[in-house]
Amino acid sequence: MTTRSVEAIIRPGAPHYVGDGFRVHNFIPGNQGANMQRMNPFIMLDYNSKYHFTGTEKPRGVGVHPHRGFETVTIAYQGKVAHHDSGGGGGVIAQGDVQWMTAASGVLHKEYHEEAWAREGGIFQMVQLWVNLPAKDKMSPPKYQAIKNETIPQVDLDTAGSTVKVIAGNYQGTQGAASTFTPVHLFNARLKSGARADFSFPAAYHTALLVIEGAITVNGKHEAPTDHFVLMGNDGEAFSIEASEDALVLVMSGEPIHEPIAAHGPFVMNTRQELIEAFDDFNQGKFGYLED
Amino acid sequence: MNRFAFSTFLTSNTDLDQELIDGLVGQCTRREVTRGAYLLREGETCEHSFFVEKGLLKQFAIDHQGKEHILQFAPENWIVSDRASAYFHQPSEYYIQALEDTQVMLVDEAFILQLARNNASFLEFNHRLLHNHIRHLQQRILQLQSATASERYQHFVKIYPDLLLRIPQVLIASYLGITPESLSRVRRDLAEQNRTILS
Repeated sequence: MTTRSVEAIIRPGAPHYVGDGFRVHNFIPGNQGANMQRMNPFIMLDYNSKYHFTGTEKPRGVGVHPHRGFETVTIAYQGKVAHHDSGGGGGVIAQGDVQWMTAASGVLHKEYHEEAWAREGGIFQMVQLWVNLPAKDKMSPPKYQAIKNETIPQVDLDTAGSTVKVIAGNYQGTQGAASTFTPVHLFNARLKSGARADFSFPAAYHTALLVIEGAITVNGKHEAPTDHFVLMGNDGEAFSIEASEDALVLVMSGEPIHEPIAAHGPFVMNTRQELIEAFDDFNQGKFGYLED
Repeated sequence: MNRFAFSTFLTSNTDLDQELIDGLVGQCTRREVTRGAYLLREGETCEHSFFVEKGLLKQFAIDHQGKEHILQFAPENWIVSDRASAYFHQPSEYYIQALEDTQVMLVDEAFILQLARNNASFLEFNHRLLHNHIRHLQQRILQLQSATASERYQHFVKIYPDLLLRIPQVLIASYLGITPESLSRVRRDLAEQNRTILS
């Protein structure tokens, strides 16, 4: 097995707001080194690093908007998000929960801080990752996987208290909670100071780490502090991370989908014509209706 | 977005030779304005046409009750100006404001007139733009007099296919001359009619 090297360690850029409830650093595709083609099937990653929202009677968030052609994966670290969609679905995700929404042919949804949480306010920390769909599945029916923290399979590491939670894919024989359309591995690795975790994915898989808490050393020499994004190369399979202080790391690795990408705002398709159709279908109410 | 969107626009919409286009673009000023910034205010004399390279502008007036009425949106590759103010040198009744961080080319009115005098091909181009604008305004007048809310909405999404995703519906309602509730009803009825394969 060959070593997968670190290609870049990317510090969080200036944050921007998505709606008024998500204060995010964009890592994909905002960074030159991590554009859609380079990171595919991961086509967007917004990270709301720890941020204190004051209490409010009117929950902050982002209003009704459509998606088509991919999946949105929301991982809650701190705070609570409520969501509703045009298919009548909805729910709340809190610490450790994951909402895996397959937008596919199209949904309208809105995402807000959960009402009671918003009233109190507090520290909010969240990741939203977009996973592309292969052409054959882009127009499949939308669906949800609401994944509760306690149902995510966990692998205990040698160091007591250190674990890898398998959101999707497979880690050391443990199968993840979410089903995916193409091979995707998504883990939350919680490492006590000094603990080490080893990972191996096929060399071609696009792979990255996001340091949610603490600090890590990758392959024994590259230090990545809190809120930094580690872009891994495709020159090998295996790499290791070691916690230089208690750490929580989001690990993602996926098989590239070798198809053209045509993206505009909330639609990610294969051709320009399909994008035009997406706008047309949205304007004609074919994504349904959802009250703002 | 293409940094030279205005050049590209001229190349694909006129028969001007490249040298003339380069000269014209060279005479324009590129300005970046943040969301909320004004390019024109009521009472000022408009001295430019604004070509939007990236972002979104709105042209509007405010009535005696303080209510805003939107005359035009200008997303990428649109030109917006108060032509009356610019041509007749009269104070404008309108505001032009950025709805997003916007990159515009400021085309000087005096320069347009000079170029039109000296170059038949540019004169023809400018005429076409002007008549296109008149056609658009005539359609707007007739629609505001006679079209249903649903018809107005359908026409809107044809000319501005992506604006629904970029601006609040209250602004679209203002442009259409209907209430936000009426626009919401139109969208809900459409969704009812077009409930398809997707759900």
